[in-house]
Amino acid sequence: MKLSKLKLVVAMATVMTLGACAMTQGTGVATQNNSPAKGFVVPAYERLTLDNGLTLFLMPQKEVPLITVNAVVRAGSVNDSTAGIASMTAQGLLLGAAGRSKSELEQTVDFLGASLSADAGKEGSVLAADFMAKDTEVMLPLFANVLMRPDFNSDEFAKLQQREIAGLSQAKESPRAVIGRYFDKLVFGQHPYGNAGSGTRESLATLNADALRAFHANYYLPGNTAISVVGDFDPASMKQRLQALFGGWHKVEGLKQPDLKAGLPKLDKSRVLLVDKGDAIETTFLIGSLGISRDNPDYVGLSVVNTILGGRFTSWLNDELRVNAGLTYGAHSGFVPYSSAGVFQISTFTKMATTEQAIDLALKTYARLWEQGIDKATLDSAKAYVKGQFPPKFETAGQLAGLLSDMYLYGFDDSFINEFQQRVDGLTLAEAQRLVASYFPRENLQFVLIGNAAEIAPIAAKYGEVIKVNIQDVGFGN
Amino acid sequence: MKRTLSALVLAMGLMTVQGQSQATTVADIQEFTLNNGMKIMVLEDSSIPNANMYLFWKVGSRNEAPGITGISHFFEHMMFNGAKKYGPKMFDRTMEAAGGANNAYTTENTTVYTDWFPSSALETIFDLEADRIANLDINAKMVESERGVVASERTTGLENSNWRTLMEELKGAAFRAHPYSWPVIGHESDIAAWTLDDLVQYHKTYYAPNNAVVVVAGDVKLAEVKALADKYFAPIPAQAPPRDIKTVEPEQKGERRVYVQKASVTSPNVMMAYHVPATRHEDYYALDLLASILSQGNSSRLYQALVDKELALEVDTYFPMSFDPNLYYLMGVAAPGVSADQLEKALIAETNKIAAEGVTQEELEKAKNIKLMDFYRTMETIDGKANTLGTYELFFGSFDKLFSAPDAYNKVTTADIQRVVQTYLKRANRTVAILDATEETDK
Repeated sequence: MKLSKLKLVVAMATVMTLGACAMTQGTGVATQNNSPAKGFVVPAYERLTLDNGLTLFLMPQKEVPLITVNAVVRAGSVNDSTAGIASMTAQGLLLGAAGRSKSELEQTVDFLGASLSADAGKEGSVLAADFMAKDTEVMLPLFANVLMRPDFNSDEFAKLQQREIAGLSQAKESPRAVIGRYFDKLVFGQHPYGNAGSGTRESLATLNADALRAFHANYYLPGNTAISVVGDFDPASMKQRLQALFGGWHKVEGLKQPDLKAGLPKLDKSRVLLVDKGDAIETTFLIGSLGISRDNPDYVGLSVVNTILGGRFTSWLNDELRVNAGLTYGAHSGFVPYSSAGVFQISTFTKMATTEQAIDLALKTYARLWEQGIDKATLDSAKAYVKGQFPPKFETAGQLAGLLSDMYLYGFDDSFINEFQQRVDGLTLAEAQRLVASYFPRENLQFVLIGNAAEIAPIAAKYGEVIKVNIQDVGFGN
Repeated sequence: MKRTLSALVLAMGLMTVQGQSQATTVADIQEFTLNNGMKIMVLEDSSIPNANMYLFWKVGSRNEAPGITGISHFFEHMMFNGAKKYGPKMFDRTMEAAGGANNAYTTENTTVYTDWFPSSALETIFDLEADRIANLDINAKMVESERGVVASERTTGLENSNWRTLMEELKGAAFRAHPYSWPVIGHESDIAAWTLDDLVQYHKTYYAPNNAVVVVAGDVKLAEVKALADKYFAPIPAQAPPRDIKTVEPEQKGERRVYVQKASVTSPNVMMAYHVPATRHEDYYALDLLASILSQGNSSRLYQALVDKELALEVDTYFPMSFDPNLYYLMGVAAPGVSADQLEKALIAETNKIAAEGVTQEELEKAKNIKLMDFYRTMETIDGKANTLGTYELFFGSFDKLFSAPDAYNKVTTADIQRVVQTYLKRANRTVAILDATEETDK
């Protein structure tokens, strides 16, 4: 039926060659599964850089006749001059391009059953498409126009702006949808990582199509972008197509990115951001602090240790809060890494009457990490779990394109995948305890509680200095 | 669901697979039935060194009665709380230590258990599942703790999803006889009231091997699955088949309306639903394509008429697969300054327009292409394959309908689309539910 991806890796390693001479710095990266014991490896792919600085990743995958194309641009909310401009620029790409209206683009894409979407995160903006391989000749040029030649039509922008402003209010109807934005603002404050990527009702209102054009001109540059193509295609002809479509994208020098290592907050006291939602029927909360950056050499080990604390169903947090106490439907923890910093957070929710009980139990359970430590059986189980659940994260063309985009954005390579299992295997008890001592924040924890403030304000005061806001207030502020 | 909130079945229609890809075909599915009536399907796929097992049980909120509403879903939780060989907490601990993860979901019609694992753990999975199917230990302490979990699941669903709030009220009005009337998660008072006896009886009746379909997909071999099924599942005795659901919802004779007030709602939400036939009815395909024409993509009818015209922030349709005749949902969130009444009228105007004028050939072709893409996306993962195969087996009577669906979709004409709108999407057959911030008054 299907070639396995592992067999495909071997096959591709023999056929991958460098492409057209116009492409410079070509680097064939073909991973071989020369030892079954090594486990899951990244399917073979090729990385190239065009003369204008554009990075290309090509990874053939033949399981279904689909192709995913991702463009990731190093521009996100950390680059926002006005809150939300990176996100609005990304979404604005879809408002029409190269003289074809929004409606014409959508008719074309939808008719093929294809998808085209765009959005910005903290450090990158992604334009993504997937389509049937037979429709490549329609979708690739369209994709290129949307990325490089968006029109930012004023009428369409005005409609998008109104939808997004109203959407912010609507999002606040769901505590789960917005609590992360409050947390990032509380932790990072004025640092760019604290920027509300979605913008606020007020900041979005100040934007216009010209502002988006300027943002696009500043950041959507070939030297600041990678395009990943994953799916059912022939690499040689795909390279020619990409060269033809993107080779003429003008090169611009001198792009300056913010120094994200600078100005990171010092969290010298515990604080509680109490977000009042008058008709809340439960309390939704996050507890945490600063975490790690994506390039931390202990990233894999920390993911194993976090699995024990709050990363799986039998984790300590879920076991105590859900299984033993019946206080919640689920409790989790995790590190969210960015290029130069990150957060660690514990998350759960409970009915209003058990708010204090649930927070106390979460904190007590968290403290087990250093008060009680990890035993070997638990560590072994977590290692097996992390390894066993790893391959399905990179099964689809979309997932693999996302991986390649992340490699570009955060500067890691496929050794992260290919050495993942060995790194997990190598984690000892002593090492795990070192990670606990080094990385899990113990002091000056930061709390966000979304709930009925009239009821839970006295509880909030127990955990730190309380800052109270109403969920209907503009922004996600502190 | 055990852990996540959505209870929507994802399976979609599809077309035949052509071209150079190595996509799954009907010949790739192998099946056998044990003497106790348990049907098992196997799909060998070594794309990744993992596999999964999906167990589909023919029991959902449809099999409940007032007083024990929500028990199917509650039971789904209890299936993780200990059996004879693997006692309390040991199901999850054993599976995770072997590298596996699991989840489950309950719908109006089915309860589905999902295990995802490195293929080396296959025997452990069989052992764990067999233990809880044959020898579940239902004890009072676990029941009490789990009540709190399910109550929290219910609350957090209502806290975070307006659609959940609205759908619960809408179903109660749209059905006055059939068990689809109540929410899958159950009424609050029933969650508090189940007895141990209710649960013991439920397990015996519904968790019999003859009431299940099992799918194993991934890096496994048929012979290996067969041997393990013989060892672990075959010894579990069959039971008398569960009672049939005989209630037929009486024909709706006029529009019904529901209003829900919630202070934090920033603009009105409107959900409307029409009675439609069960999934096995021939009109399923036309109705499914209609849903795409109405709401998939920004070029869809509802987006163009409502979102693009700034009447709505978002619009959607929902058409669940179903054993018995069920509902066809249309929904929208009003844009600022737009009243519930305006939004409702705009939604109705679009369906009335199709009833009067039909759709274009191009729109229909587009919907068929969307179905094909959905199919490929589903068949891109071993998880999607297992879930879709089992879903087709249950809702269409045979998994091979998955592979003949192309013909069924291709046969649908623009006249069929117009006809199903005229037949089902009419006022007398409609229930409307509105969620808004202000209390409804007579003024």
